[in-house]
Amino acid sequence: MAKKTEDIAIVGYAQSPSYRQAELTEPQFLYPVISEALERAGVPRREIGFTCAGSCDYLSGQTFAFVMNLDAVGAWPPISESHVEMDGAWALYEAWVRLQHGDIDTALVFGSGKSSPGKPAEVFPLQMDPYTLTPLGADPVSLAALQARAMLDAGKITEDEMAEIAARSRKSAVNNPYAQVKGDDDPAVLLKEPYVTAPLRKHDLPPISDGASAVVLATTEKAKELTDHPVWIRGIDHRIDIHQPGMRDLTESPSTRLAGKNAGVKGKFDFAELSASFSHQEKLLCDELGLGKDVEINLSGGPLAANPVMAVGLTRFVEAARLIAEGGKKRGVAHATSGQALQQNLVAVLEAE
Amino acid sequence: MFYCRVVGESQERLTTHTIDFPYTRTLGPVFSEFLTGMRDGKLVGIKGRDGKVICPPTEWDPETGDALGNDFVEVGPGGVVTTWAWVTEPTPKHPLDKPFAFALIQLDGADTGLMHAVDAGSIDKMSTGMRVTARWKDDRIGHITDVTFVPEAG
Amino acid sequence: MAESQAADLNAPVVGMDYHMHVQYHEVLCPVMREFADALMDKRLIGHKCPQCGLIYSPPKGYCPICVVPTDKSHELELQQRGTVTNYTIVTPVQYHGQEETDRFAKASLQLDGGGTLSLQDLLEIPVDDVRIGLRVEAVWASDAERNVDEVTNRSWGIGESAIRGWQPTGEPDVPADELPTNVF
Repeated sequence: MAKKTEDIAIVGYAQSPSYRQAELTEPQFLYPVISEALERAGVPRREIGFTCAGSCDYLSGQTFAFVMNLDAVGAWPPISESHVEMDGAWALYEAWVRLQHGDIDTALVFGSGKSSPGKPAEVFPLQMDPYTLTPLGADPVSLAALQARAMLDAGKITEDEMAEIAARSRKSAVNNPYAQVKGDDDPAVLLKEPYVTAPLRKHDLPPISDGASAVVLATTEKAKELTDHPVWIRGIDHRIDIHQPGMRDLTESPSTRLAGKNAGVKGKFDFAELSASFSHQEKLLCDELGLGKDVEINLSGGPLAANPVMAVGLTRFVEAARLIAEGGKKRGVAHATSGQALQQNLVAVLEAE
Repeated sequence: MFYCRVVGESQERLTTHTIDFPYTRTLGPVFSEFLTGMRDGKLVGIKGRDGKVICPPTEWDPETGDALGNDFVEVGPGGVVTTWAWVTEPTPKHPLDKPFAFALIQLDGADTGLMHAVDAGSIDKMSTGMRVTARWKDDRIGHITDVTFVPEAG
Repeated sequence: MAESQAADLNAPVVGMDYHMHVQYHEVLCPVMREFADALMDKRLIGHKCPQCGLIYSPPKGYCPICVVPTDKSHELELQQRGTVTNYTIVTPVQYHGQEETDRFAKASLQLDGGGTLSLQDLLEIPVDDVRIGLRVEAVWASDAERNVDEVTNRSWGIGESAIRGWQPTGEPDVPADELPTNVF
């Protein structure tokens, strides 16, 4: 019988606004975010047991760009730290595993990225199969469009529903000071816009964003000492599907389903923060996680309103923690994704005390 | 504390930075067969453990993870579009420099989809379930872009 | 086409070339903008950490050691004369993109009055004569030629288009034991 894992809590969190084009460097806009998360947690910088970051050097366009980001942490004298070339949500997972060891009681996690300097449609094909997909320039929007068409053909979504998801996200984002795309749009008007990459219109796509987010984690005992409002991670798991888009059914996401099951996604939820970077993916994720109409989805506006790549998944944890610690919500789902067309998925269940 | 402005159209000083890496990759036995086929004007798949034909071929069985033998199968040149996306503004990295469709193409004799470009001329010519066929470049070098697809005549 | 297959057009294809080329356009951040503007005025500026006193040039907008922000109020002008504290001699390997063919030195400098610079070019001195303790001074590009096109948020050095490099002053060398040990 496997040993039961310890419940870890989110005790501090912060995010930067989502910028279309930030004039600051990544460490410069990370700096206040990390400081704010630490202050909220009430943990002195030097007492953090483990630090883990998520970012992408190809996005920054500089080898070892992630090392520069440590400037924002205070890494001298040397601290115990690690980095994942993935969204900060996977850095959170590594820190969560690290805290299970029991020898440390706090961890700092952050994710950051500047998508504005490069052209995402030219940078992201570099994460694909280098023999058959990178040389085709297989870009995220085209891959998502293949998925959307497959869902439309299978009757799993309609273009009307996609526009409604986009309009609702933009409307929710009106109350989110960190969001980039917000407003009161009529889905019927959105549907009159031309296709960018059919069947996707501009509203189905995430914005290009620069930004960062950070989370402070603590073990059960430490969390109770630090705060009266710990946000408990009751379960967390991540799973991956096959890479080649033609070798899986794009209208399903077995990895989301399995990660959700392992994370304990069942019963009643108040809300979910989902990394649905394209409108149709929200429907797919809700179906796979069994989230019904009673669950409020992306109250923050989600990735359609703010999409700081490499931070956007971790920001789902920040938003979820904020809703529980400050917004009176009791139980929610946080989801992050990696790869193209929802290839890899991380799911967590977050609860109030 | 830092104050970050969102930069507008008239940004003050835009700097340019280029990264430029010429990669040469070895292919291994399976991709070597696939890309040698490309050079020779043939589309090559591989048989999985359950007998299903996988194209592009993999070195391992997608279901079980077992290593696959060298059971290569010629597939295509025709196939069926199982889903598609119309690219209105191609990037310089795309295989065609005019509007085209990216599609998953289940080649005749294969059980999986190959992602590739379909040069259909206009979006009206595209539909799920349509048949397409390989169009080979004259000067082939053993590269995925030796081929593109076009709607099958008739 | 990979070299290995160029010889025999019927041999199996065993390699694949892919030329990765991506361009980035980034707005120069405010502290670097100030640094670049100063270079155009033939001034070299840095930020002094209010806590530990370390001087950063180009300025970062924070001290990464103390994790405190720095701004215009921490700005100071650096002297344009200093001492080589370390150096490396590069023998160019002709990889893709390498434009240099002759051996060259890159030096770390301790500036008089405080501040350090790394990866600086040395002028008017044979590579084999470069040494720790060498006294040098800045050689600016002429007013007509001077520009800051090479100054980016990722800059390690200054950009040869503003300060062309550093030339020996002719002063006696500084003994190595008088040089700080914490510069590289």
